[in-house]
Amino acid sequence: MALLEVRGLVKRFLGVTAVDQVDLAVEPGELVSLIGPNGSGKTTLFNCVTGYLAADHGRVLFRGRDLTHVAPHRVARLGVARTFQQVSVFPRLSALENLLVFLQQHQEEHTLARLIRTPRLRRLEVEAVERARRLLDLVGLTDKADAAAGSLSYGQRKLLAFAAALMPDPDLLLLDEPAAAVNPTMINQMKSHILALHRQGKTVLLVEHNMEVVMDISQRVVVLDHGQKIAEGSPDAIRRDARVIEAYFGR
Amino acid sequence: MRRASALAFIVMVVAAPWLVAAAVPRQQRYVLHVLIFTALFAALALSYDLVVGHVGSLSLAHPAFFGVGAYAAAILATRARWPFLADLLAAVLAAAVVAALVGVPLFRLTEHAFAVGTLGLALVASIVANNWVEVTRGPLCITGIPKPVLGLPGGPTLAVTTLPGYYWLALAALAAVVLLYRRLTTFRLGRAFHAVRDNEPLAGAAGIDPLKYRLLAFTIGAALAGGVGALYVHYLSVMCPEEMTVALTVNLLVIVFLGGVGSLRGVLVGAVLFTALPEVLRLAPTWRLVIYGGLLLLVVVRSPEGIESLLRRASGARAGR
Repeated sequence: MALLEVRGLVKRFLGVTAVDQVDLAVEPGELVSLIGPNGSGKTTLFNCVTGYLAADHGRVLFRGRDLTHVAPHRVARLGVARTFQQVSVFPRLSALENLLVFLQQHQEEHTLARLIRTPRLRRLEVEAVERARRLLDLVGLTDKADAAAGSLSYGQRKLLAFAAALMPDPDLLLLDEPAAAVNPTMINQMKSHILALHRQGKTVLLVEHNMEVVMDISQRVVVLDHGQKIAEGSPDAIRRDARVIEAYFGR
Repeated sequence: MRRASALAFIVMVVAAPWLVAAAVPRQQRYVLHVLIFTALFAALALSYDLVVGHVGSLSLAHPAFFGVGAYAAAILATRARWPFLADLLAAVLAAAVVAALVGVPLFRLTEHAFAVGTLGLALVASIVANNWVEVTRGPLCITGIPKPVLGLPGGPTLAVTTLPGYYWLALAALAAVVLLYRRLTTFRLGRAFHAVRDNEPLAGAAGIDPLKYRLLAFTIGAALAGGVGALYVHYLSVMCPEEMTVALTVNLLVIVFLGGVGSLRGVLVGAVLFTALPEVLRLAPTWRLVIYGGLLLLVVVRSPEGIESLLRRASGARAGR
């Protein structure tokens, strides 16, 4: 069974059909890229999958469970993590706290227990801090742990947001343009992070404009244009696909 | 060193009635009265800051919750002759229930619409207090609210009848609010509140239900405001509709935003400054409001983020940063 399955998804905005009858399946452990010209509906599709937008038609299934009308925080707790295209952090929390906040909600606990700070919770917190520090090490932000996230550079915030998404150890990771607007060194860094996740068996769905990254690391590429899926296949096949070339370069 | 000065400060605050008696024996009563008001306003401002400072929802409904608590306590104490601790608890619960009920529809509104909606609630509450004469006695006010008597049924009791006694009661209430405020605004709860305040869509991706945490802060803030309302009417022994007008919101906004929104120290400093200062300035009656207004302007111009940011800069400079 596919880990994520999108069936006949339709999303309209005031008469513009942003996503038009899209089918998509991601198998466990796969690394799939979603590409397409600007405005082709990639981010809208992401938002429909993660509960930020309600689809007009069609269904989204995660492990066979219908996510179509599930709120974002519930989707997240089911094990679907996502990043945002505009770099998104909690600016007034420290880098470390940014990571901690991404794990705590996955640990079901009563509000009263949080108020009292039960021993169990304190133990979980110590473990969470350890995990957060490991992830900060991983993305090279060790010495920024106590800095306010808002004070970090654009690239650092991007890495922080990526690390935060990994905090709850999600089953499915949706990355919205992780390599956009950062320098070549950081692009390579991001690429190797994503590949490392893939080797660990994580399932990744990627929206990305950087073709080099997409062609380099994806197992499979799905191409959207004007909200419709126009092609799907291996990176090599997509590179040679006449419809894809037409969508990107025109006739 | 820090610990020692903090301890000295606490001893001074607790011993204030004696210090006042020694320093200004002729104005002892008046100064104590100002101190009691300051403690109650500090507690109320902290309860307000839970909402505006920590989940970032600009509620203007706080007088309504203060009023619900105040009227609940006043009515139960005078007509039903409930003991103090029971009517205090009822006031807290009544305000919390009202907040939870109106919070669900109000939080469907965002930002400015939410502020306007809560302003509407405050106005409705004020109109009800004025016109539901059978219950609130309207502009005739509820009078003869007894002095608080501490103690549980069957046990020993302690009547709070003196001004120093009431000062310590208000101080204990403030201490309780401070402890709860700190519990709520740090660790996991605090992080969840701040996540919702700073970036709501991202909070969702982190698995946080924004509505739940907004409602939680709103309801607890209201419950504490209701409790302060009960203490307030037992102190003044009278409750009138004017106590819960929009003027109270303005006071709270001044204390919280000029003190330091989202900061315990900032709000406390704000409460001391903006409750005690207008009273101290009474000594120069003609110029009182002019001086007060001038000081407000000065703070707004020099430090738009409140006095707390000034304090932080000063301590940062001292630490050589």
